[in-house]
Amino acid sequence: MPSFKKSRPGRFLLHRLGNEKWQWISIPLLSVVLAVLTGSGVILLMGKSPVDTYIGILQGAGMLPKANYAGGTNMLTDFMSFLDAMAPMLLAALGVTVAFKAGLFNIGISGQMLFGGFLATILVGYSDLGGLVAKPLVLLIAGASGALVGGFIGLMKYRYNINEVVSSIMVNYILAYFISFFIKTHYINPVSRQSEYINAAASLTFKGVALGGVKVNVPLGILLALMAALVVHYLINKTRLGYEIKAVGANRKGAGYAGIPIGRTMVTAMMISGGLGGLAGATYYLGYFASIQPGVLSDLGFNAIATSLLGNNSPLGVILSSILITILDKGATFMSSKVGVVKEISGVITSLILLFSAMGAYFRYLIAKKQEDVKSENREEMGE
Amino acid sequence: MNDSSQAHSNIRDPAGTLAVALRRITKRFPGIVANDDISLEIKEGEIFALLGENGAGKSVLMSILFGLYEPEEGEVWIKGKRMSHFSPREAARQGVGMVHQHFKLVENYTIAQNIVLGMEPVKRFLGGVPLVDMKATNEKIRDLSHRFKLDVDPLQLISEINVATRQKVEILKMLYREADILIFDEPTAILTPQEVDYLLQIIRELREGGKTVILISHKLEEIKAVADRCGILHRGRLVAVKEVAQTSTKEMASLMVGREVILEVDKPPARMGETVLKVRDLRVLNRDKVAVVKGVSFEIRAGEIFAIAGVAGNGQTEIADALTGLMATASGRVFLLDEEITRTGVRERNLKGISYIPEDRQSYGLILDYDLSYNLALKNYFKEPFSSPGGRLRQEEFSRYAERLIEIYDIRSNRGGGSVVRSLSGGNQQKAIIAREIDQDSPLMIFVQPTRGLDVGAIENTWSQILKEREEGKGILLVSLELEEVMALADTIGVIYNGELLTVKAAKDFSKREIGEYMMGVRKDA
Repeated sequence: MPSFKKSRPGRFLLHRLGNEKWQWISIPLLSVVLAVLTGSGVILLMGKSPVDTYIGILQGAGMLPKANYAGGTNMLTDFMSFLDAMAPMLLAALGVTVAFKAGLFNIGISGQMLFGGFLATILVGYSDLGGLVAKPLVLLIAGASGALVGGFIGLMKYRYNINEVVSSIMVNYILAYFISFFIKTHYINPVSRQSEYINAAASLTFKGVALGGVKVNVPLGILLALMAALVVHYLINKTRLGYEIKAVGANRKGAGYAGIPIGRTMVTAMMISGGLGGLAGATYYLGYFASIQPGVLSDLGFNAIATSLLGNNSPLGVILSSILITILDKGATFMSSKVGVVKEISGVITSLILLFSAMGAYFRYLIAKKQEDVKSENREEMGE
Repeated sequence: MNDSSQAHSNIRDPAGTLAVALRRITKRFPGIVANDDISLEIKEGEIFALLGENGAGKSVLMSILFGLYEPEEGEVWIKGKRMSHFSPREAARQGVGMVHQHFKLVENYTIAQNIVLGMEPVKRFLGGVPLVDMKATNEKIRDLSHRFKLDVDPLQLISEINVATRQKVEILKMLYREADILIFDEPTAILTPQEVDYLLQIIRELREGGKTVILISHKLEEIKAVADRCGILHRGRLVAVKEVAQTSTKEMASLMVGREVILEVDKPPARMGETVLKVRDLRVLNRDKVAVVKGVSFEIRAGEIFAIAGVAGNGQTEIADALTGLMATASGRVFLLDEEITRTGVRERNLKGISYIPEDRQSYGLILDYDLSYNLALKNYFKEPFSSPGGRLRQEEFSRYAERLIEIYDIRSNRGGGSVVRSLSGGNQQKAIIAREIDQDSPLMIFVQPTRGLDVGAIENTWSQILKEREEGKGILLVSLELEEVMALADTIGVIYNGELLTVKAAKDFSKREIGEYMMGVRKDA
């Protein structure tokens, strides 16, 4: 495409994208832009307006004001609800990220969420403890139980070489059915067909807080999640344990050669990963929701894998991708009722984003090559 | 010494005696010019050797000829036809075949199945359903192998045959595809001296049979022995094309490296001290619980280079892995400086004083995705000053340490300590490992294949480093498949065959021929 290379905006774009210092963000952005454009094509094929669709999604997620609101709500209500939904997504995606760093694929986040959420619900959620005791206890129990499940999967992998994908999927179902059994026999609410609602003191989200004349849900989980992202970032990049986890993930043989205890490192990484999954479960089942639907594994635990990938498996990148994926997820219902595009379009756009982000390395290569071409052209123009 | 006048004249080669003509080939990768204006002609029926250091551009040039890369500038002509929009499939159709350095064979297929893979003789079942005609295949392969004197049993599984036979299979693969321009990429790297002689004989016979052979090699002796002409690449440029009969190995070496090379080792007499390593009746089992090291005993003293010579796969790597703790010791005992370490973990052995330059640098010696500074501290990262007692890494200490080693050991990279090791050339990756391991200042150093894949300049450098460590009074275990290397460096040589040390003698009491015979398991000591 010589015309592209010659054109001014083309050169400008090439120059910007070619700056390797910023490629960690510029390349994912490029993927998102391409996905949004391609998604627009799909929406156009359905005969709807892409602009309206995207606006609808942003409105539904509390990013843009809607035309009118139900009584006692406004954009802040939607935005806080968005944060409420983003907290478990961010925590779950961080969980996936930590496992990825150790070269492991934790597909069992859903099960770890459920296990952590369930134990916290029955041990704290139905107790009479006050909020100051109950909330930390919820986090402690959920985190520890998630870590236990994660650690178990790690141990199976190291000790008996059982593929973590297989064992975590099996553990997912075992947990889902066991917990379903206990909920149905002990904790079922006959009307909602879900577990009984937890007491407000145990909830990580303050529901219906009056704020500026409207009622909003104030999620503590989002603070926890953002803090967790910073802690994971520090852990992975600045500590001895992070060095070992990444070494085991990048090259298990090399790590063994260096004397890094591979088994211990893998189990530790899976415990952290599962612990984050457990925390995600706490903010999900005892925050965003207040009960558990028996026999169902949350989609969120699986979408977290996509979120982690989109965030380039970097803890800070995952913050951005969680925002994006949660917007698409959260805004879809409102958009669908307003614009009339089926809400599955969100899934389509999410998949497109993933598809394009998976091409990141190719984009990088392409850009480097084009730059090389431009350089050699310049050389020729200057008559060498 | 680019023959540019010829390149410009645009010869069509009417007589059709040129197998390959490359005209003004330039290939760039981001940051480097891999092939810089290379023009080269290879005649039909000759053995043409391509010589050059690592990173000189040999593989890139051959990949262009094989259709894997498209050059930015220049033309590829094969048998008088200009190739454009060239692909490996098209190259194969034109009769270009390649035996890669690392064999590309399916382990659980038979020899015949491997050879025909992708071009299977087909019979129709019930007049329509295509089936592979295995009977015809086996016969065809048997004929082919007789015709070219490359006898193999078509029904044997690849997993059951040795390296030399595998290579024959690769050659037959090309011949089956009716290739007549045969590229051999470092074919002798893994063979015993006897096998090398045999392979060179095969190459000569292929030429007699009218094939054109392109031989990529570092080994000047072989080129001297077999090639007609030799093209020498240096830093992406073709610096000379020589008639092999009219040049010396010394001249070729200096052209290749760009300076005089002395591969003569200046080895002062050994001054051996106390025993550093004592190995008693070492047995090691592989993953299938089969003994691969069967009761090996030896000792290494300070200031001694003890070399284990042998054909690949006879247990030498496993000895090294067992000594460093990477593989479990089934029975027997290992003492380091009179302290038993038979059951000690890898890290503890490192700390007690074992340095290890492993055979497989990329999967064991380095974390390729880590930068150089992280890799150079791979065995120290957990200690002060790299790590605080609380477990926080001190980035600045990593950088400082890397700067020091880079300076001393001349490790070249684009961004110093911050370069991702994957981007370093093979030679510099090896330098990084050697730098790290020498700097551990361990009483025992284990070198496994330390110069594999390195060019003459780097070999010279590595050898002198090993000898320097010997002077420093280190005990050195050298495992090498290269007899030259063993002969040049060792004070004591043990020859391993099938997991047993057949003989251990002072290096001066061995002849090369004798070692070769032990390596094949032909001779046994009483």
